[in-house]
Amino acid sequence: MKSLVAIWVLCVAGLATAIAQSGLPLPSPVEKELAARASNVTEVTLGKNMLAFAAKFLDGKDKDDEATRHLIEGLDGIYVRAYEFDKEGQYSPDDVEKLRSYFGTTDWSSIVRNRDRKSGESTDVMMKMVNGQPHGLFVLDAEPRELNIVLILGPVKMEDLSRLSGIGGLGVLGDLDTDSHGNTNRNKDKDKDKDKTKPPKAKTGGEE
Amino acid sequence: MRKLLLIPICFFALAVPVVVLANGVNGGFDRVVSSIEARYHVHADRIPLLGLVNFVARASTNDGVHGMHVAEIEGFETDVNGEELNKLVAEKLGAGWERVIRETSRNGGNQTLIFMRPEGSRMGMFVLDLDGHEMDVVEMSVDPEHLSENIGKYEHHERD
Repeated sequence: MKSLVAIWVLCVAGLATAIAQSGLPLPSPVEKELAARASNVTEVTLGKNMLAFAAKFLDGKDKDDEATRHLIEGLDGIYVRAYEFDKEGQYSPDDVEKLRSYFGTTDWSSIVRNRDRKSGESTDVMMKMVNGQPHGLFVLDAEPRELNIVLILGPVKMEDLSRLSGIGGLGVLGDLDTDSHGNTNRNKDKDKDKDKTKPPKAKTGGEE
Repeated sequence: MRKLLLIPICFFALAVPVVVLANGVNGGFDRVVSSIEARYHVHADRIPLLGLVNFVARASTNDGVHGMHVAEIEGFETDVNGEELNKLVAEKLGAGWERVIRETSRNGGNQTLIFMRPEGSRMGMFVLDLDGHEMDVVEMSVDPEHLSENIGKYEHHERD
């Protein structure tokens, strides 16, 4: 019996190590609850190996495709979760806060923070800085009946992000835009009560 | 007259090994389909002459696609638990496969699972799609570079 327990523990540890090595996080406990309440759930999980393979589908002769290919090949992973709900109020601000704190650890800095008090919509964009260079992007977009999480790990250039919006579940990145100074904006006419912070200049702790 | 007889003989001589080879190495796919049949009390329809279809697909895509397996399963009367289906497929497909996309609805009527695995310079793709009472299961091996070239040709035609 003891050996069976030991094997089981080793298997779980092995699985956790494998996921950790892929660079992508384990799903947060809140996600399980959200998935149970959501009417539709979409999950996209692409590790480094899969991204390298997926990049081969892009035509190397086309300039745009070549640039996208280069961007994808350099990434460590893409993690997308989209939850759709039948009605409003299926998730609480507390759930959103739990997600934000689960993904946005101290390595991450908030660069966009939008709150619409009337509708309850919110958008958070956080960036992971390594040696002053962006090395990850986290987007949490909460709408009354929808909750989207996008996590991109690896070297990311803000100006190249829109190239990824064609990938399943990454449509939310099409809403992000950068100005000539590299500042990130969110293109949504309905955004109100904006509370934007400027992009980080160096590695800093979370700003929430 | 002899020449005329030779044509069908050659055709069958070529077609039989193609069909046999195509149906030979499909362990994971068969295990998944059989398990779904057993679990949900449904029956899978295999596509007839799929070996020949494979042969044509392989030739027409310059080896971009091969090893295609298709099953159509009808008659899903009960709701399908997405978590359970995902576990069943992952377990029966075996090691090496990674789930990249999962779309699931709470009422169980719509489930989509896409698994991939590297196969040397190729990529294995397994797609399962449940839409209402009907499920389609497809497995194939694709060469991304060849396939991309072929798709590119048609894209350029469209632009012209």
